[in-house]
Amino acid sequence: MTRTRPPHRLANALWTLAAPLALTGAAAALLLSWRDRLPDPVAVHWGPDGVDRLGTLTELWVLPVAVFVPAFALGMWALGHFVGQSALTRRLAAAVAVWCGVYMPAVALATAAVQLDLDDASRAGDIGGLVALALVPATALAVVAGWLTPGDAPQPASAPVPAGAARVPLGAHERASWVRSTSQAGTWALAAVTFASVAVLGWATRSWLPTLAFTALLGLVVLVFTQWLVTVDHRGLTVTGRLGWPRQHVPLEEVEAATVRDVNPMREFGGWGLRTRVQDGATGVVLRRGSGIEVQRTGGRRFVVTVDDAETGAALLNTLASRSR
Amino acid sequence: MLFRIDPQATRPLFEQLADQVRAAAVRGEVAPGERLPTARDLAASLDVNVHTVLRAYQDLRDEGLVELRRGRGAVLTDQAGRDFRALHLALQAVVVETRRLGMHPETTASLLREALADDGAPRTDPTPQEMP
Repeated sequence: MTRTRPPHRLANALWTLAAPLALTGAAAALLLSWRDRLPDPVAVHWGPDGVDRLGTLTELWVLPVAVFVPAFALGMWALGHFVGQSALTRRLAAAVAVWCGVYMPAVALATAAVQLDLDDASRAGDIGGLVALALVPATALAVVAGWLTPGDAPQPASAPVPAGAARVPLGAHERASWVRSTSQAGTWALAAVTFASVAVLGWATRSWLPTLAFTALLGLVVLVFTQWLVTVDHRGLTVTGRLGWPRQHVPLEEVEAATVRDVNPMREFGGWGLRTRVQDGATGVVLRRGSGIEVQRTGGRRFVVTVDDAETGAALLNTLASRSR
Repeated sequence: MLFRIDPQATRPLFEQLADQVRAAAVRGEVAPGERLPTARDLAASLDVNVHTVLRAYQDLRDEGLVELRRGRGAVLTDQAGRDFRALHLALQAVVVETRRLGMHPETTASLLREALADDGAPRTDPTPQEMP
């Protein structure tokens, strides 16, 4: 299989590298300009009872900002650059890189801000509220970055659907729609473990505001990403989350062929949910092990969704696609 | 589940749709508690009027096969989970016998329709038989 060159490499570099690095650079510059107003040593770590460790200014920002953010940005850039054939991959890469590029420097800045003009760093106030508050701009800018990332141009297929691909016998005037819901394996166990760990973390650190913020964020994730609806009809293949979002759509005219496969989310995609396969840039909504529809799409793209009765879904997709040619 | 409609067929579209849900329940393809797509979504998916789907869903509700919930679409009731095994066996027997006798499928189908159109009272006295 020849791999198609992912489009929009410049935009990818802009969002995954330039934006986080510029934000990080600006934050580092601001931090260094505060140098004379900061105590020496500075507080670098907080425990349940306030500051519990002092260190140098370098320690405060080098690891989280100067090492972590660039490393992460580079990883996301590579993802979009080498396997970003699908818009989803490029959007996720941009969003994750920007989130990280805002959140990490924001936390470092918040840490320093509460110590400005203090003589003794150990008297610095709590940073819990700011750490939670930083989630807001980080998430907002990540959404904007994903939104502004250019999508895929329409690429209608030119070849007919292979004769060997499974079909559903359909009359000349018959219309068909296949609808099936598919759920995350072990949703309740997953939710319980997640909330329990957040609760333990909150109890251990006694910082309730960040705990509450993280709980709300995780609750939203559980709500949105655990149940999906898969539809195959005259528009193509559509997979939507419980609230109608996120929505993954493969238009009928871009379907080259659909097959049924045994999917192993952990081994292929490194986890569950809305994902990109690092090996070939295939994207997917992979929620459990077992049968799934794999669609070969124009532009060297592939889309996988794990769903019961995948045979019917794949066969109908082939049937409707070949009828539309 | 798979919905299919034929706008060229004589049977009204809403009845075709309701038939699909009934058949899916009998075949065990849908289970109690399962949610059908909202009328709006299914109408868009099949490119038909939303009232066509609503009419089908309302008929299914009147029969007790689905429950309509505001804003949440139609949910299959316990009726969808009834034991249809005997019916499957009987249908299979009809098919086997039709083929054995070399009858035209349409003949059997119309006989079946006639038999079902009778209001329950069998005209010819069937010989009572013990099931083995």
